[in-house]
Amino acid sequence: MDIFLVEAIVNGILLGGILALLALGLNLIFGVIDVVWIAYAELVMCGMYAIYWLYAVHGVPLPIAAPIAIVFVAILGVLVHKLIISPILGSAPINQLLATGGLLFFLQSFATLLFGADFRNIGLRLPIVEVGELFVSFARLLAFGVALLGMLGLWLFLKRTYVGTAIRAIAQDREIMVLMGVDPSRVYLITSALGGGLAGLASALLVLQYDVHPFIGLSFGPITFMICVLGGLGSMVGGFIAAFIMSQIISVGGFYTSIELSYVLAFLLFIVMIFVRPQGLFGVKS
Amino acid sequence: MRSGLLATAGLAVSLGFGGLSGAVAQDIRIGVLYDLSGPLAAAGSVASAVGANIAIEMVNEKGGVLGKHKIVPIAADAQSKADVAINEAERLLSQEKADVLLGVFSSAHAVPIAQRVDNQKKIFWITTAIATAVVKDRNLQYTFRAQVHSDQFGAASTAFIAEVAKSKLGMDAKDVKVAIIYEDGPYGVGVASANESGAKQQGMQIVLKEGYAATSPDLSSLVTKLRRARPDVILHTGYNPDITLLLRQSREQGLRFKALIGHGAGYGQIDKLVETFGKDVDHIFNVDPVAAQLLDPKSLKPGIGDLTAEMVRRYKEKTGAKEVPPHASMGFNQTWVLLDTVLPAAIQKHGGFGADAIRKAALEVDIPEGGTVQGYGVKFFPPGTPLAGQNERSSPVVMQYVGGVTKIAWPTALRTIDPVIPLPASSPYAAR
Repeated sequence: MDIFLVEAIVNGILLGGILALLALGLNLIFGVIDVVWIAYAELVMCGMYAIYWLYAVHGVPLPIAAPIAIVFVAILGVLVHKLIISPILGSAPINQLLATGGLLFFLQSFATLLFGADFRNIGLRLPIVEVGELFVSFARLLAFGVALLGMLGLWLFLKRTYVGTAIRAIAQDREIMVLMGVDPSRVYLITSALGGGLAGLASALLVLQYDVHPFIGLSFGPITFMICVLGGLGSMVGGFIAAFIMSQIISVGGFYTSIELSYVLAFLLFIVMIFVRPQGLFGVKS
Repeated sequence: MRSGLLATAGLAVSLGFGGLSGAVAQDIRIGVLYDLSGPLAAAGSVASAVGANIAIEMVNEKGGVLGKHKIVPIAADAQSKADVAINEAERLLSQEKADVLLGVFSSAHAVPIAQRVDNQKKIFWITTAIATAVVKDRNLQYTFRAQVHSDQFGAASTAFIAEVAKSKLGMDAKDVKVAIIYEDGPYGVGVASANESGAKQQGMQIVLKEGYAATSPDLSSLVTKLRRARPDVILHTGYNPDITLLLRQSREQGLRFKALIGHGAGYGQIDKLVETFGKDVDHIFNVDPVAAQLLDPKSLKPGIGDLTAEMVRRYKEKTGAKEVPPHASMGFNQTWVLLDTVLPAAIQKHGGFGADAIRKAALEVDIPEGGTVQGYGVKFFPPGTPLAGQNERSSPVVMQYVGGVTKIAWPTALRTIDPVIPLPASSPYAAR
C-alpha cells in the first residue's frame, strides 16, 4: 500500500479524535438541555488563552496549567448556563441560538480586547514519531489518545454513576423526570460544567498544535456543528462516528483530490444526508 | 493697564485671524480602512494602519498639507470580513464625507471596494492589498495603487530561483522542481498564477499547485502530497494561521526541501514567526515590497533616509516591536506619496482636493527610482491601459531571515546577504 496514503489515513484518524471530542461536548449539551451552544468553539478558545496565559506568560508548568484551564472552562460553562441559557430556556429555540451567537461575538471581541488580534503560541515543540517512512506528530498522537480517554471517562460517568444516570434520564424524557421529583436545573448545571470541561480538555490538546487567536473558533466551530448534525444532534455515538467520517473525507479526500475539493465532498455528503436522513446517522426522528 | 488692554486686543486679533484662516483652509478628511480585528489584523493589517497613521501624524505636525490643510483621519475596522469592509467604505465616503478612502489590507476587500468607489467617482488610495486583479482590465479611473502588485511577487521568486539555480543548487533552472501552494482568496490565487507563469517562463517543473482555505483546521494532506511530489523549492502564499499551521505540520510530517519562499502577509511578520518557531524560521525567504529600513539611504534621494528613520522610530515607540515589518512601510509609504506629493499638487495646480483634482494630480506624479522610502519610484499607468491606476515603477525584493534578522537577497543590486540556499543542515526542513 502507498505509504503516503497510509499517512493520509493515519492523519485523518488523528484529526478525527480531536473533532470527536469537540462534537461530544456539544452533543452532550444538546442531548440533555436541548440547546445548541453556538459559541462552543469560542469556549475552547478561552481555554487555549488560559493555558497560554498560565504557561507562556506566568511559567506555570503545563501539567498544572491544563487542569486549571479545564476547570476554568467548566466554570465558564456553568456561567453560560446560569446567565444566558437558564433565563431563556422556555423560549423559542431561535432565541437560544441568537443568545449563544451573541456570546460568540462577545467572546471574540473580549479576547481581542485582552490579548489583541495577535497570534499567540506556547512555543512548545514536541518530538516527532518516526516509523520508517511514516512521520506522525506526537502532539496529534497525544491529543488523539487523551481525547479517547476523555470520551471513555465520560461514558463511564454516564453509565456508572448516579448523577450520570440522572443526566441520561433527563436526556430521554425531561417531562417525566420532573414528575418523578427530579430537579432538572441541577442536572443542567452539571451537564453544562461537563460540556465546558470537555471544551477545556479540547483546548488543552489544541493548544499543542495551533496558535491561539481570537478567531480560532472559526476554524473548528462550523465543522463541529456539521459533525453533530451529521451524526444526529444529541447522539454521542453518532457524533463520534461522524467525526471520523468527516476527518477521513478531509484527509484522504484531500490527498486524492485537493483540500478545497475535500471540503466540497464533505459538505456534499452533509447536504445529501440532510435530504436522505434529516435526523442524522444516529438521530431519532422527532 | 494700557499694556494689558493691548495684549488682550492682540490676543483677540490673533485669535480672530486664526479662526479666519482656519475657515479658509479646509481640513482634508481621509477614511482609513484596515482590518483592526479578525484573523487579518495580525497578518500585517494593523502594521499597515500604524504606518499610514504615522504619515498622517507627521504631516499634521507640520500644519497639514501645504502647512494649512490638516488631515482628519477617520479610522474604520473592516474586521477581516469583505461585507464589513464594503459597508465601512460606503459609510466613510457617504456619511463621514471622506475626501479619500485610504487603506485596505486584503485583496478580497479591495476588489469589490475599488469597483464601487470608482462608480461613485471617489478616490480609493490603496496602500497594501496586492492582487493584480484589483486593477487589471478594469480601467478604474479613481483608484490608485503605488504598492507592488501580485504579478510582480510571483515573478520575483521564480526569477530569483532561476538566477541562483546553477551557482547555489548546482542544477539548471529547467531541472528545478517547484511546488506552488496558496490560500485560495484573490491574493493567494493572484500570486500563485504569477508563480506558475514565472516558473514556466524559466522552464522549471511544477510538481504541485494547490490552494486551500486560510481557515482550514488541517493541512496534513497537503503536506503529504508535498512529500510525495518532492519539490526542491516551495512557493507559498498565505496569511497567518495557515502559514504557522503549514510550517508546523511540515516539520511534524518530515517534509524536506531546499528552499521555501513565502510571499508577504504572514511571512512578513518575522517577529511573530520567530516567537512561534524560534530558529526554525532561519533561512526562509519572503517576497515583499522592501521594509524601508533595510535599504541603504545612500541609494535614495537625499532626505528619504531620514524620513525612514523617523517612521521606524515612531513605529517602535507606538508598538514596542523590535523589527518593523514591511507592512508598516507599505502603509506609510503609499500614504506619504498621497499627502506629500499628490494632495499638494491637486490643491496648487488643480484647485482643491475634490476627486477629479486628486485624480489629475495623481496621473501627473513622476517620482523617479529612489524617491520613496521603499526605493521604487511612482508613476501611475494611465486610463485605457490594462493596469490603469497601478504604479508602473513599483518592485518587490526577495528577503531572507537569518538569525531573526531580515536581509535582502534579490535583486542583486540591493543585496545585503549572499543568499543561503539550499537550507543548511541545521534547519529541521533541510534535506537529509
